[in-house]
Amino acid sequence: MLAFLRKNQVALSSCCCLLLSIYILTAAARGQLKNEPLSALLMWIMRPLQIASQETVDWIKGFQENYDTLAGFRSENERLRKRVQALEVERQKLLEAEATNRRLKELLDFRSHLPDTAITASIIANSASSWFQSCLLNKGSADGVRKGMAVVTPLGVVGQVVSVTARTAKVILLTDPNSGIDVLVQRTRSRGIVSGSLEDGTVLKYVKRSEDIQEGDRLITSGVDGVFPKGLLAGTVIKVRKQHLGLFQFIEVLPAVRSERVEEVLVVAAESGAEKKP
Amino acid sequence: MRLFLLYFSVGVFLIVLQGTLLRLLPFGPVVPDLVLVLCVYLGLHHPTMGAALGSFLLGYSVDVVSSRLLGLNAFAMSLVFLSVYLSSRSIWIQNPLVTSFVVLLAALVKGAALVLLWAVFLSVEGFWLGAARYIIMEALVAALLAPVLFALLRRGQNYVEKFRVAAQ
Repeated sequence: MLAFLRKNQVALSSCCCLLLSIYILTAAARGQLKNEPLSALLMWIMRPLQIASQETVDWIKGFQENYDTLAGFRSENERLRKRVQALEVERQKLLEAEATNRRLKELLDFRSHLPDTAITASIIANSASSWFQSCLLNKGSADGVRKGMAVVTPLGVVGQVVSVTARTAKVILLTDPNSGIDVLVQRTRSRGIVSGSLEDGTVLKYVKRSEDIQEGDRLITSGVDGVFPKGLLAGTVIKVRKQHLGLFQFIEVLPAVRSERVEEVLVVAAESGAEKKP
Repeated sequence: MRLFLLYFSVGVFLIVLQGTLLRLLPFGPVVPDLVLVLCVYLGLHHPTMGAALGSFLLGYSVDVVSSRLLGLNAFAMSLVFLSVYLSSRSIWIQNPLVTSFVVLLAALVKGAALVLLWAVFLSVEGFWLGAARYIIMEALVAALLAPVLFALLRRGQNYVEKFRVAAQ
């Protein structure tokens, strides 16, 4: 008997525990377990642990809440920043569209004064060398652009086409030393040639010493070169110097068009003789 | 006795954890039943009278802190211990997968025992469907965590035994 008990002590003790549990359950269900000391002891043991653990939980929850709040702010901030950037891009596009619209409208108005053969083009590149003042247009022979055609804007003369490919045209600008445009001084009708120079900027050449030229005089195309329509503004006189020797005056000119600020131009056929009131 | 105290302390610690920190785990309304895993461990690796009493006491402690009726978990944990103890005589458990499976079965046994006791001692309407869901979820979570807890308990046991050998 003792050997049986010893051999099965674990199973028997478990069974005892089960029976004890049933007894406790029955007693508890009947409400007979009041002020039971084991429960009080266990609670006494666990209470400080539970308090400490709960404080840890509270700390973790607080940390998590703070983190969530911060993450919320961060994501909101990021969202708003992206929105501002998107709006800024949109605003820039609208401003650009407005400016382009204005320029094209001016160009269209100007075109109505030119022959129907005038071709609208955009400048796609400027000179890659500081020795040359030129630019490239996005229209070429396929679009009707030919060598020698005049390039103008509503503000005045830009330059002249010197070479073309199927889709591009190279324009030598008024400010290039190799250019030369026959002009009139609007006030006195004196003639001269506007050209660029490496040392003095843009100048008006071949004006006699006797001619009355003053600062502020406007220079317009004469139309006699068969390239530029008559009456386009080429520039304004900004400096006049009569040298002691020589037949001609030294006249410095401010070009009417600053090519680096131009985006759209009109290419006009050389043989056109249309007149334009500046 | 030392091991009994150690495991009981661990059990109390696990009960505290179950009521506090483990509530933060993303298992929804289910709290991982680590006490059950401990009882299974005791049934497998420490089949002694002390372990049987420990399982009962741990179940009773769970009742003290959470149950509406004292004795529910005490009965369930004692039954789990007994079941595992009886089955450990015929199966060899070392693989973590088998460990998880045993814990899963033990959790189902515990769930079934609780359902039975609820039906007998407490009557709650609409209890069965919810109970079935809880039993399955609790069993799965316990089975998932069992290998980790087993490894920790084994390590702690080795440490205590080394300490005891050194003391002798």
